[in-house]
Parts: sequence; structure tokens; C-alpha cells
Amino acid sequence: MTAGLADEARRFGSGQAVRRIEDAALLQGRGRFTDDEAPAGALFVAFARSGVAHGRLLGVDTAAARALPGVVAVWTGDDLVAAGVRPIPTATTFRRADGRPLAAPPKRALAHGAVRYVGEPLAMVVAESRAAARAAAALVEPRIEARPAVTDPAQAMAPGAPVLCDEAPDNVAAEMRHGDAAAVDAAFAAAAHRVALDLVNQRLAPSPMEPRSVLAWTEGGRLVVRLSSQMPTAVRNGIADAIPGLAQADVRVLVGDVGGGFGMKTGLYPEDIAVAWAARQLGRPVKWQAERVEDFLSAVHGRDVTSRAELALDADGRVLALRVRSLANVGAYPSTTAVAIQLLIGPWVTTSVYDVPAIDLHLRAVLTNCAPTGPYRGAGRPEAIYLIERLMDAAARRLGLDPAELRRRNLVQPAQMPYRNAMAQTYDSADFPSILAQGLALADWDGFTARREASRARGRLRGRGIATFLEWTGGNAFTESVSVRVTGDGMVEMSSATMAMGQGIATSYAQLAVDVFGVPIECIRILQGDTDRANGFGSAGSRSLFTGGAAIRVAAQRTVEVARGLAADALEAPADDLEYEAGRFRVAGTDLGIGLFELAARQPGAAIVAEDQASAQGASWPNACHVCEVEVDPATGAVEVVAYASVNDIGRVVNPAIARGQVEGGAVQGIGQALGEQVVYDAASAQLLTASFMDYALPRADGFRDFRTAFDPSIPCRTNLLGVKGVGELGTIGATPAVVNAVVDALAAAGVADAAERLQMPLVPARVWRALREGASGY
Amino acid sequence: MPLIALRVNGRGVETDVETQTLLVDLLRGPLGLTGTHVGCDTSQCGACTVRLDGRAVKACSVLAVQATGREVETVEGLARPDGALHPLQQAFVDAHGLQCGFCTPGMLMAAACLLEEHAQPSDDEIAHALEGNLCRCTGYVNIVAAVRRAADALAAEDVAGARA
Repeated sequence: MTAGLADEARRFGSGQAVRRIEDAALLQGRGRFTDDEAPAGALFVAFARSGVAHGRLLGVDTAAARALPGVVAVWTGDDLVAAGVRPIPTATTFRRADGRPLAAPPKRALAHGAVRYVGEPLAMVVAESRAAARAAAALVEPRIEARPAVTDPAQAMAPGAPVLCDEAPDNVAAEMRHGDAAAVDAAFAAAAHRVALDLVNQRLAPSPMEPRSVLAWTEGGRLVVRLSSQMPTAVRNGIADAIPGLAQADVRVLVGDVGGGFGMKTGLYPEDIAVAWAARQLGRPVKWQAERVEDFLSAVHGRDVTSRAELALDADGRVLALRVRSLANVGAYPSTTAVAIQLLIGPWVTTSVYDVPAIDLHLRAVLTNCAPTGPYRGAGRPEAIYLIERLMDAAARRLGLDPAELRRRNLVQPAQMPYRNAMAQTYDSADFPSILAQGLALADWDGFTARREASRARGRLRGRGIATFLEWTGGNAFTESVSVRVTGDGMVEMSSATMAMGQGIATSYAQLAVDVFGVPIECIRILQGDTDRANGFGSAGSRSLFTGGAAIRVAAQRTVEVARGLAADALEAPADDLEYEAGRFRVAGTDLGIGLFELAARQPGAAIVAEDQASAQGASWPNACHVCEVEVDPATGAVEVVAYASVNDIGRVVNPAIARGQVEGGAVQGIGQALGEQVVYDAASAQLLTASFMDYALPRADGFRDFRTAFDPSIPCRTNLLGVKGVGELGTIGATPAVVNAVVDALAAAGVADAAERLQMPLVPARVWRALREGASGY
Repeated sequence: MPLIALRVNGRGVETDVETQTLLVDLLRGPLGLTGTHVGCDTSQCGACTVRLDGRAVKACSVLAVQATGREVETVEGLARPDGALHPLQQAFVDAHGLQCGFCTPGMLMAAACLLEEHAQPSDDEIAHALEGNLCRCTGYVNIVAAVRRAADALAAEDVAGARA
């Protein structure tokens, strides 16, 4: 029996491709997403949103909406301001060039005094049915004195441009300079080679398949908010900050199943405050389920950075300096996080895996009449890595070097670990040359010429692209706690403040728990999404496993030690004489013993409880080599990904199947950015032109799926006790430059390198076709 | 309000519905079958896919009254009568064919329809059949692999059944 259990524990412990414990419910329609909850007497919310991108909000006429049968209440921004509802604050971490703090218009639950983007919520209708709420919202009539709108950050900074907030007459919310401009100028002056690219990292819609949803009610004088979120505690604190008379202890946030997050469901949204406020006012459950168009209009978008990036190299192809000038379009109401992503987090990885001695970065976050940007899978790192990887390829072309060879000459070497980069970030562990070599081998880099010829014979232009890169993970929130309850009926319940959103974190945690407890994985229950149980940063920035997972291990170990003391009492033996294996304490050298769960049953409350916390010493730096091959149809400009190989260093791997799913699913998102996705605003009216999945081109099932994906687990992370590195964002970060580099390579081989290097994402057929034509005609 | 009678997952249902009520709202609301999800408002995402007389349809694009006298099958009715997972469900577990699980019910119902019409589809045929179902997590890699695996499992069941 004991041997059998130990064997089972080995099969379900970490390192194994354990089948997910999440799946059975989700596959049988028993998931519990927010909109699946239908409390009796619930009311439904619909928001009236601005159809005008920019203007003074003179008033909102709600009489017709109120008169509709079934409508219970209608509130406007004026009502909420009068009631003392506060805007979502920004931190003072970031500064404008004039030294004043980050300038952004106050982000309110409902617009007040002005509207600044199309889709901004300006009134809330609460009704007995969803249909009545929506019908009434359509009857809300705002009086808006329209003003000119601006969607392009360079135009927004020009004299005479519409101004979004008085504190930023130039529309620059904040800016930062990093590095040593004089040193970089000197390096460029002395360089044998200089390359420069103008690059657009277009605006994206994160598009988790479950749109945002919020359900709120009051319970015993407290406010309960059940929503789809990656950060329950931030929502709790934000709601308590915004709504007068609420302390954090008065708010309980619950999160059930989350239908994808990708960063979009971090932090607090205006709608969250409005729904919570309505529930408190009305004393009945109130639910809002966003329509997809509402998420396109008013959930955060990602990326949207325009850059000029320049590299100086010596005659041998050694990088001497990197210079970047970027304008990030952070939209109308940037959060501190949105600004941090572009001004700080991206820059941390801007030199990536390369030993770049000097940098000069000047980055500005610019206000426009677009929806706010925020975290989207990678959040700053994809933007930074895209720049450096495009530059490396452009430099290789300039020098006539194999792009892999140019990279090899510039990699930080293993002997340099721990390595401090030009942004004072320290990489703890890596072997970039090995990962590059393995990636090239997996991709059969050297066999490319034959494949290119074969493609040519079929009338296709073949190209190959490479991205060698790293990323920073952890969200700078490195401590997590886990509380444990071993029950007499045979369960180990472990509560964590990190949040599941599809990444299989409960399974990975359960595996780590099995490592310690040695009980069947069915006995482990991972509890998340309840601020009455656990509070913390939540899940973002690929932090959960290496912070929360480490806490699972130490809390499990603590529990076994607590239980050991109890077992010693029960067995009347010294604790030091007890051996623990496979859910059982045994007095060494005897048959005398007691099972963990039996022991729990004997305790007061029939449970053993314990708690512990773990802290990582810093970020983890997952890194990889991704190699993509594409074929371009010269007749249509259509691009097809035909091969994709990657070797990834995510440190120790807890669940290889989940890790592979993260890298490949993430890579498809990166391919989506390279080839299809783009949020488009009309430049004159600032109307959103891509407000549905008919206009916003998500990857579909008929796209590329034939990934070759490998992991090198031989380089454990040194900043956490598990040795793991983050994995959630790696594929997305690598795929975009790998694909674009491949397309540029295909076109360069067709003799249109200059036009190819001017191409901007997404590389839709019309753009590629035009580059082929214009390039050929000496454009 | 018209009274409609239909069968849902093998059980007879009689209910009053508004003429404009969508099938998906009938399922998720009065019938409490919340496994069928709504991921968009333009019939693009396929999360609401159910089977209507065996054919995969997007339940956001069918009126409840159109289901009168017909058989509706949702993800809740997919498992075998003895409670065992349907081979498609089992294949999604085995192939890691789901992450957040929001699109999964629609994927399963679309795939169930495909496999009844075409017992041994190629990967390309599977992908084509699922083009109307969006997934943001998996990149479709393991979804297509899961459907292929299920096709093989169903074929093996048929062989076993024929031998018995």
C-alpha cells in the first residue's frame, strides 16, 4: 500500500506531464465563470458609452431610459461624483520632463465633465433584465460639445493638437531617459557600421475568450464582488479606495473560473467600481456581462509603440551601442502600470541576451483619444525584444553575416553570470550560446538553403527568422504565502493569492504538493480567488509558479513538520524518530505509524493547519531561441508560417505538457501580432474600426500548428527555491520578431530588402505584396 | 409568449419563451445549462456552439422558437450515460487540449458533429471544421491533436463493438 502510494506520488509529482486537475469540470460544462452565476433577484447592468472621441460632457439626459419598463436605476458620472465616488489614482513614480508627476485625466467609474475616447462609459442603467438594461442604455442621451480628437502620438505632441489634460499641454503623460547619451554618441561616431529602423509595434486587443464580467451583492453589511480577474486583491483594495465608507475589510472579492486573462484582467476597471456601487445602493445582486464590443472599446489594449532604433557596431559585428527613441500611445486614461510597461519594464530587457556596453533610451508615454493601454502578454518585453531582434537581423544583412553568427558574437557568456545589464538588471543564470546552438540544431538552420530552393521551385519565396531573447518575470512582487488545511476526510487544501486563468497553475501547484506530501494528486485541492482567504499581488508577469509555487513547497513542508509533532504525541514517540513517506508517519524501524489524514481526524476541528511564505530573491530570466521559416506567395503577398522550432530555458520544468502548451499557445499569439492583428482607429474621428472578431483578425484553427518545442532544464533559476523560471509570456515575445525577421529575409532574398525593412506589422498580404512591387521598382 | 417543446440532452422540455429569445439564452438562463458560453456578439467565436438535430450550430444565431420540436445537445449531454467522459472529452484531457476552458464546450460540440459526419478526418479537415471556433490560449495545436486522438479512439470503439 505504502509503496503503491509512493509510486503514485512519483508519477504525479513535479517533472511529470500530469493530466490537469482543472479539466474534468471544464469539459463537462461545470466550469463556474462569473456569468454562470445567477443569484435570485439579480439585476442587470448596461453601460451607455460615448460615441464621441473627445469633448466636453455638458450633461446626460436619462429621462427616457428611466421611463423604460423594468429599469430600476440610472446613474451618471455627476451622480457618482456627488456621492463621493473617487477616481482610480495614479502613482507619482513617473515624471514629465518638467518634473511634474505623471499627468493623466482622472479615470472615473463614469465620465464626468469630459469624454476622451469612444466607448468611455458615461452612464449606467440597472434593470430587471439584461434586455431592458441594454434597451434603456440606448436611450441615454449625452450632450457632448465635440472637440477635435487625436489618435497618433506624434500628432498629439505637435503644437496645436487637442489637449487631453491641462497638466500635459504637450500630451506627454510621462517620459524617461535611460543610459549614457554622450557615450552612445561617441560610440556611434566611432562605429564601423550603423543601422537604423523605424518600427511600429501596433496596438493589439488581448481578447481572452471570456469578456469581462462582474457580479456584486451585499452580504451581512459587506460588499461581495465576484468577477473575472487576475488580481482579486487589487480589485478589493481599489473598490474600497473608490467607494466612500468602505474599508478593505468591508469588501470580499471572489473569482471563479477565468476564461483567459493575458494581462487584460489585471487591476481595476471603471465598470468594476460602478457595478459594486450599484449593488451597495440597491441592496440586490447586480451583474454586468460585457459584450465583446465593450471589451474591444474599453478593456485595455496592448503595445502601441512607435520607435526609431539604432545600433552601432564595430567592424567585426560587435555591438557598441543602442539608441532608441519611442513614443508609446497610452491612450486617454493611462494607469501607472501602462506607463511603467513602456518606460521601465520594456527597457529592463532592451539589451536582451547581448552584451551591449552603452545605451541611450528616450521614451515618452503620450495621451491620445484612444482606449487606455495596459498589460498584454509580455507587457513591454515584446516591444523591447522586437526592436533589438529586428536590429540584429538588419545589422547582419548590412555586414553580410549569418544572423545567427552575428548574435553569437554578441551574446552574454555563461561565465559572465550573474550579469548586470545596462539597465542595472541582474541575470542570475543562463547559457545563451548553448540555447542558441540547440535552437539552430532543432531548426536545421544549416539545411535552409535546400528548403529555400524547394520553395522556389514551387513559386514561393522562403525566409528564415531567428529570435534569441530573454524576458523578465515576476512583477517585482516576490513574496507569496500559502495556508494549508489537512482534513480528516482526506484532503489537503492549499490557499494561494495567485490566480488561475487557464495556465494550469492548480495542477502545477498540486504536483509540487505531491512532491512533499506524497499523497495522490486527487487529495490536493488548490483554493484561489477569495480575498477572505488569501491576499497578494495575483497572477501577472509570469510570476505565479516561481513565487506561489515556492510558497506551496515551503507551506507543505511546514505542514509536515507541524504534523510530525502531532504524530509524535499520537504515537508517543520522539518526533526525531518519525519518518514521513507517502502520507504516513512511521516510527523508524517499526511498524508503528499513523496516516496523515487519520492524524488530522484526531485533531480539534478534524484538521491540521499550517501556513508559510516564500520569497524569491529577484526576477527570473527565462530565455530562448525561436526560429521560424515562412513562405511568401509573390502573387498575393500572403505569408505562411511553414516551420517553427524553439529551445527554451525556463529552468526546472514542473509540468512539460503545460509548459509546452504555454510556449506554443503563446507563440500563436505572437504570430497573430506579426501577421494579422491590429486595433485600428479612424484618424479623423477616432472611431474604433476594429470592434469585433470580424474586423480584428485573431489566429484561427487553420493557421500554423506544427511546432517543434524543446526545453533545456539544465540551467535552474537561482533566485527561487524551485529553480523554475516564468513561462507564460515567452512564446509571445519570441514569435513576433522570429516571424517578421523571416518575412523580411524572404523579401530581401527577392531583392527588395529596403522595402522589406520598412514594412510594419501586421504583415498582411496587401502590405507584403506592395513591398515586393515597390521594392522591385526602385521605391 | 409562445410555448415551445424541444428535447435537450435527451430530455423533453416545455417552456414559454419570448419570440426574440436566443437559443443560447434559453439554455444558459431558464434551463441552467451554463456550459454553453457566449464569447462575442457577432457569431464569430463559436463558444456557444451546440448541436441541433446533430448539426453544430452557433446558439447565439438561433432563436429558441426555431428549436421547437428538435433535439438540442449541449456539452452537459456529451458524457456517456454511465458518466464516463466522451472520447472527445477524454482526448482533450490527454492531449492538453484546453487551457482556460471557455471555448472548449463549443470546440467539443463542433468536433462531435465533425466526427459523426467524417469518422477519420485529416488534420487539415479538423482545422477547417473548427475555423468558426476561436481559442486564444492553445494556438489550436492541442485541440486539433485531441480531435484526431478522439477519432482514433472512436474508431477503436467501433472495431471493439463490431467484434463484440
